[in-house]
Amino acid sequence: MADSANGATRQSSAMPAGTSHREERFALLQAQTRRHFLRSFTAGVGSMFLGTLGSPFVSTVRAAERGVDGSPRLEFTRDPSQPLSVLPPQFAARAKRIIYLHMAGAPSQLELFDYKPDLTRLDGQQCPASFLVGKRFAFISGVPKLLGAQYPFHQAGKSGQWISDRLPHLEKHIDDLCLIKSMRTDQFNHAPAQLLVQTGNARLGYPSMGSWVIYGLGTENQNLPGFIVLVSGGNQPDGGKQLWGSGFLPSVYQGVQCRSHGEPVLYLENPSDVSRPLRRRMLDAVDEINRQTYAEFGNPETVTRIAQYEMAFRMQMDATDAMDIHKEPAAVLAAYGANPAESSFANNCVVARRLAERGVRFIQLYHWGWDDHGTSAKDSLNIGFADRCRETDQPIAALLTDLKERGMLEDTLVVWGGEFGRTSMRENRNGQVMQFIGRDHNPGAFTIWMAGGGIKPGMSYGETDAMGYEIVKDPVEVRDLHATMLYALGFDHHKLNYSFQGLEQKLTSVKPARVVAEVLA
Amino acid sequence: MTVPVRRAPLRLRLGLFALASILLLSALLILFPPDGLERAPWAQFIGRFHLLTVHFPIALILLVPVLEWAGRDARFSYLRSSVDFLWPLAILSVLAAATLGWCLARSGGYSGRLVTQHMWGGVSLAAACSLCWMLRGYFHGPRVAYPLALLATVGLVSWTGYRGGQLSQGENHLTEHMPVPLRKLIGLSSGSTPLPRSNPAYFYGAHVEPIFITHCDSCHGPDKQKGRLRLDTYESLMRGGKDGLVIKAGNAKGSELLRRVSLSPSDDDAMPPQGKRPLAANEIKLLELWIAAGASPTLPANAIKGAPTNEAPVVAEVAFPEIDPAAVTKSRAPLAQQVIQLKQRFPGVLDYESRGSAYLALDASALGPKFGDDDLAALKPLSDQIVTADLSRTAITDRSAPLLAAMKHARVVRLTETKITDATVSTLAGMDQLESLNLYGTAVTPACLKVVESLPKLRHLYAGATKIPPDTSVSDALKSKLVF
Repeated sequence: MADSANGATRQSSAMPAGTSHREERFALLQAQTRRHFLRSFTAGVGSMFLGTLGSPFVSTVRAAERGVDGSPRLEFTRDPSQPLSVLPPQFAARAKRIIYLHMAGAPSQLELFDYKPDLTRLDGQQCPASFLVGKRFAFISGVPKLLGAQYPFHQAGKSGQWISDRLPHLEKHIDDLCLIKSMRTDQFNHAPAQLLVQTGNARLGYPSMGSWVIYGLGTENQNLPGFIVLVSGGNQPDGGKQLWGSGFLPSVYQGVQCRSHGEPVLYLENPSDVSRPLRRRMLDAVDEINRQTYAEFGNPETVTRIAQYEMAFRMQMDATDAMDIHKEPAAVLAAYGANPAESSFANNCVVARRLAERGVRFIQLYHWGWDDHGTSAKDSLNIGFADRCRETDQPIAALLTDLKERGMLEDTLVVWGGEFGRTSMRENRNGQVMQFIGRDHNPGAFTIWMAGGGIKPGMSYGETDAMGYEIVKDPVEVRDLHATMLYALGFDHHKLNYSFQGLEQKLTSVKPARVVAEVLA
Repeated sequence: MTVPVRRAPLRLRLGLFALASILLLSALLILFPPDGLERAPWAQFIGRFHLLTVHFPIALILLVPVLEWAGRDARFSYLRSSVDFLWPLAILSVLAAATLGWCLARSGGYSGRLVTQHMWGGVSLAAACSLCWMLRGYFHGPRVAYPLALLATVGLVSWTGYRGGQLSQGENHLTEHMPVPLRKLIGLSSGSTPLPRSNPAYFYGAHVEPIFITHCDSCHGPDKQKGRLRLDTYESLMRGGKDGLVIKAGNAKGSELLRRVSLSPSDDDAMPPQGKRPLAANEIKLLELWIAAGASPTLPANAIKGAPTNEAPVVAEVAFPEIDPAAVTKSRAPLAQQVIQLKQRFPGVLDYESRGSAYLALDASALGPKFGDDDLAALKPLSDQIVTADLSRTAITDRSAPLLAAMKHARVVRLTETKITDATVSTLAGMDQLESLNLYGTAVTPACLKVVESLPKLRHLYAGATKIPPDTSVSDALKSKLVF
């Protein structure tokens, strides 16, 4: 009888020394989920009741020392007043921080990295039926025509990798990149696909990559958020703010979206008639009220809330300094193509480098506008796509140069990618020939690249077929990419977990994931 | 006057019951034969008990001749009298085992010559046992009739049992591991591996057939044809099974066989099914190429370019290091106290490199100018354990050089934008674990490069924004390591 109650209590995390009885009770109540109730239904109801009384029959809250596979569990508990304090990785890490460049809308791999001369040869011909059988398309209907690459390809660098002429600056770094051409997803629309890439699940409510990373590792600079997001391109990505949300992890681990122009965080600055000492006294008063609430209810989130106010207070000084790109010399701004007067992807890249220097753990940049269906000039392969490339090519190359120069590339993992690929066929919305050229969504194959900490440079992994439509060699699922990224940070992706709803949740979710050893240095 | 109704004697009733059962069983075999389809799991569950129950009648039938023979002697005549009890027992148990066997064959997807012979053998055995029983007890015909019938029954049970063994263990289960002299005596070939049946000069014989023999023969071969599909010969492969064609020449995507073997092992339709080794990626690729090239039996063996070899490819895997908490605590024990004290003094600066390691990582860059030479001096007792030292943008100067040099195990040293000069770099000569040295934004000059060259494990030297010009002449070895 005691065991089934222990089954419920074991799921909660260990309490740091000196936690009060109220905190234990709170944790115990939180840990008893519906799953536990049903599991111990017949014998456990009575013992669960006894457990809530804190009776001598039930032992005190104790962590499960062993995970499901019998190996020791990792603990991620911290002093609630320092929720982002640094924790060491599980084993020696190759990378300390991640800069993730997400091209929202799905950039066309056939116009950037995946060279398919056979497809160009068959440009304009009817698409074979075998490509269409059993597939769902977002907008293609009937029998579309094949579409060859719209820009010429050539080989670059010592590694001789194929790249189109749209990325003249990034080309110089081709020997630093590891291209994965066989990425695969099962979502064919933007919001679920972006959620899958960012949170490991195509549904809302799961923590994003950055949340997992700062939950597992903390952040080095306690005066700045550990997970910062910068968005450019004119729109938020389709997946919305949940793409950097904390899901079921404590809310302190969510991404903070900052602006790269003007105030980094709205309303961070004091209003004009509130001085910093006055703000300090106000915060002290709020702190006191929160402490009384904590003494009464024992909810550790209250202590975290106090810590957040304190961090916002410190951020007033540090965030403005970190985000202020005026402080960079003109030569650096010119290298990125950044103009401090307006917001742009280039500005965000400069900020990203500054944040990396200041110990921010996970920096994410979103650039919107790659969804080139060909419905208008803005999202066509011959006009809009070229603009996007121009907006991102130079800043990304400059970012890589900067990181390399300062010796930060060896411990920073830089990842670039979209949420799925684009079809080898030209889109024919409603069966009509469209005025502009575009491609529909193709979840079957897309390309990402990685550079930096722990990644083997100057190589390509995986292959698609001659039409660039499906993967023929070495498919990599999104969860495999996550597992590899976590490995570079020093974690077994099974072990970076959090108990929620009776399950040990993890970024790679429930399906088996593989670390892609071939791309590791 | 009433005539007392006598119940028919037990023997007669049993005999009639046996006859009826044999007829019923025969009807089942004729009307519902095993056809290679799998049916309800409950039927398969019950059918599996055939394997248990069948051994009982086998033992009984083989015991009868022993008892008859031993009972010739007057001392053991009681043995003979018990045979009369054994025969009905044997008949009933044969009927029971045969019924369970029919259940297994009908629901377990069996088909083919072996199972049919075995089943009819079992039914015939029931009839043979009844005949023996009758000959022994009732009919007083020629005295030789019963012994002959007994001999035939023993032969029948051995043959039926052998067929059953072949169904379970494979057609050559008795001869597979037979010693070579015995093999020669019987006249079998001396090799134990099956000879390739098709010409290995062709792609089919060289690459495709071995795949099917290895992975598919046990259920889709000469002995068993689940789903009425045989894969061991070209003709039967192209003929397909109960669901139609499994290979469509020239159309790899439309070939059901390829679809099934490419599924993930957890899928219900995946072939080979759970428990059997799935096809390797290169084997699937070989099949795909062969089918796409027309699935011809006469395609030459090296006709398809880029066909992978039959050896299993080596899949790169990572191993996650195991953490033994007791060992970790032990290795950290000598300096544990000092580490705790210094961690409190410099929060966020000093920590263990990883959860499984006793080595330390030092990162004072967040403190910036607040961290100086004296602070680094406080960390002196730990210098042997430090593997990463990031002192970027701190206030250290050349005074800290001996402390840096004392970090014998340091792999990464970052002195970005500090006030150090060539003097510090020259003291680093003995750091033979150093892999990465970052001097970006410092005042070092080309004079320090001589020392750097001597570092055996150095991979990267970051010398941007220093007094070292990018075109400085250095040895080729150092040139590849310099990053500007």
